[in-house]
Amino acid sequence: MSDVLVRKGGLHTTVQDKGRDGYYSLGMPPSGAMDQYSYRVANMLVGNPDGAAALEATYVGPTLEFTDDRYVAVTGADAPVTINGEPVERWSTLRVRAGDVLEFAMLSAGARLYVAVSGGIGVEEYLGSRSTYTLTGLGGFQGRALKDDDRLPLDDDGATPPAVGSTLTEKLRPAFPHVATLRTMIGLCSYRVTKDSMREFSEVPWKVTKDADRIGYRLRGGRLRFVDRKPPHGAGSDPANVVDLGYPIGSIQVPGGDEPIVLLNDAVTAGGYATVGTVISVDRDTIAQTKSGDQVRFEPVDLDTALAARRDRRDRLERARASLRR
Amino acid sequence: MATIKAAIPGVFYRRPSPTDDPYVREGDTIVPGQTIALIEVMKNFNEVKAEQGGTVAGFLIEDGDEVTIGEDIVELKD
Amino acid sequence: MATTSVELPRARYDYGGDEFIFVELDEAMSLEANFKAMAITSALREENVDGVIDICPSNASYLIRIDPDRVNPAELVARLEGLERTVQPLAADKTLHTRLVDVPVLYNDPWTHETLMRFRDRHQDPEASDLEYAARINGFDTVPQVIDALSGAPFLVTMIGFVPGLPFCYQMVPKERQIEVPKYVRPRTDTPERAFGFGGAFAVVYPVRGAGGYQLFGLAPAPVFDLSQSLADFRESIVFPRPGDILRYRSIDQTEFDAVRAEVEKGTFRYRIREYEFSPAHFLADPDGVNNELLEVLYR
Repeated sequence: MSDVLVRKGGLHTTVQDKGRDGYYSLGMPPSGAMDQYSYRVANMLVGNPDGAAALEATYVGPTLEFTDDRYVAVTGADAPVTINGEPVERWSTLRVRAGDVLEFAMLSAGARLYVAVSGGIGVEEYLGSRSTYTLTGLGGFQGRALKDDDRLPLDDDGATPPAVGSTLTEKLRPAFPHVATLRTMIGLCSYRVTKDSMREFSEVPWKVTKDADRIGYRLRGGRLRFVDRKPPHGAGSDPANVVDLGYPIGSIQVPGGDEPIVLLNDAVTAGGYATVGTVISVDRDTIAQTKSGDQVRFEPVDLDTALAARRDRRDRLERARASLRR
Repeated sequence: MATIKAAIPGVFYRRPSPTDDPYVREGDTIVPGQTIALIEVMKNFNEVKAEQGGTVAGFLIEDGDEVTIGEDIVELKD
Repeated sequence: MATTSVELPRARYDYGGDEFIFVELDEAMSLEANFKAMAITSALREENVDGVIDICPSNASYLIRIDPDRVNPAELVARLEGLERTVQPLAADKTLHTRLVDVPVLYNDPWTHETLMRFRDRHQDPEASDLEYAARINGFDTVPQVIDALSGAPFLVTMIGFVPGLPFCYQMVPKERQIEVPKYVRPRTDTPERAFGFGGAFAVVYPVRGAGGYQLFGLAPAPVFDLSQSLADFRESIVFPRPGDILRYRSIDQTEFDAVRAEVEKGTFRYRIREYEFSPAHFLADPDGVNNELLEVLYR
């Protein structure tokens, strides 16, 4: 065991892993890294097992001082990285020594950075995961985002990472297009919205507002109209009200028709607003790398496409692993 | 001319609250580390601090407008 | 025969992306729909299907979270359709092993009143309090009459969700006696921890402080969520309520509220709980009779 000294916590940096499964029915979302692809590659680069805990930073990376020799990798969004002020490669196996300081400059594309350290972040597991769920203050490091001067525990380092300097080819890194496409399975309560409006929903670009965090992304850009009805018993009288039901992660609710909300890893698990579809699991990685002011589009797809996308991501991860083999 | 850039995206505010005076005005001299504005994102108001000192030549973004990462918000003259 | 018998439509099956299956038993709320949701989800739980990660019974629907690499979503839907046909929660001999729980509530309390007054601009009726508004639109003359109606008959926990431990509860009275209120026009940004709220036909206790859109009727002195697990009722889970629990939101005064708060602070508080074999068919046939029995067993 050793510590990493958090000189600066960044804007919102949390410990995350694959997520905490099996408690959705208690109202507890899985949390976990929002961009699973970048998170998993970060672990590969430092020789960690697949589920090791890493850091996820939103918009502003942390400044970290190491207290022993470790392998480190930075993936996810585009932001220049330095060690002791010297520029280093991203998506690459790096070596640090006691006293070395890893620092980020201003991010230029994407939204979330991942930092994996060999051995993994050594916080206690809570209900089978080290992921942070800040809403109720559980998991991760004291259930909260990192602050300046925290001491973050690391697990013992038995990793056999790729050779120092191994770098993932550009082709296998995520792209950050100007308008991100989110493949979406239309459905759930989409019957509440008129056909014309559902067409508009998938045609207009939606802008990510300032209210975009790990719970969900609030968007603006179009105006959806609801089908007239007499409210069913128990729903409430607003056109978007339904009898409270479970919300899938990735589902898109439309409270007023003009501000769709895409629920993400720290989702509220249920509620009483109509949902019109669900972003496929693979494309949660994509929305996780969009930031306030960016644009997204919803592209209707079917289940087969969603399952093919999962296979494709698994293949890409295997290709990444193979290309980094020692 | 030097500028101060936004490090995070969000909504830009020049005052601590709607009823307060702006943090700084045109012509004011600022020092490194001084708070010059707020950016609201992810339900938090984050202080924008000057990385370098100088005299404020002008604001390039209106109070209440959206700002993105890397956007120039203040122009400084020496 | 059942006096409030609701004929459920054919269930509607849909995918929530590649990792969720959503099954809507009815668009409208009814105890029949909820009993069906609970029966199907508990039957599925017993089948221990590989690749099923979470099984979430909801008010008039249910949600399944899956790992589609381990279970084929279309095959699982076929299995769920089978359960829809075979599961008969209203058979005369079907019972639900449940808990009857006394949940004290200080209705019309000063704390939620202070909160709701801060958000009158988001409310349907800025001139009235949430309870006054609920009394008016539900045909009651006074606020104490609404409180009596809410406190008088127990509620079934028909769903857990939103945030950890929040129970959605549906009152066990015939539909014509159900109290119904809309949610706030725009959700509040603040709600006290343990606030007793009401939206649509559902009562809730907010587990943690935060945003919320339900009307605010009172405050519970005892928690429904305890991350520290220091209270005995939370030893096994940080979340107290379970789907199928029957809760009685008993109206208490400030003195009892303070006494319960003191017990919670000392770590000695325990909910009054009685185990109970609940028969949905029996209840639907004679709701008032069964409610009287439930309350008798709870306070025996």
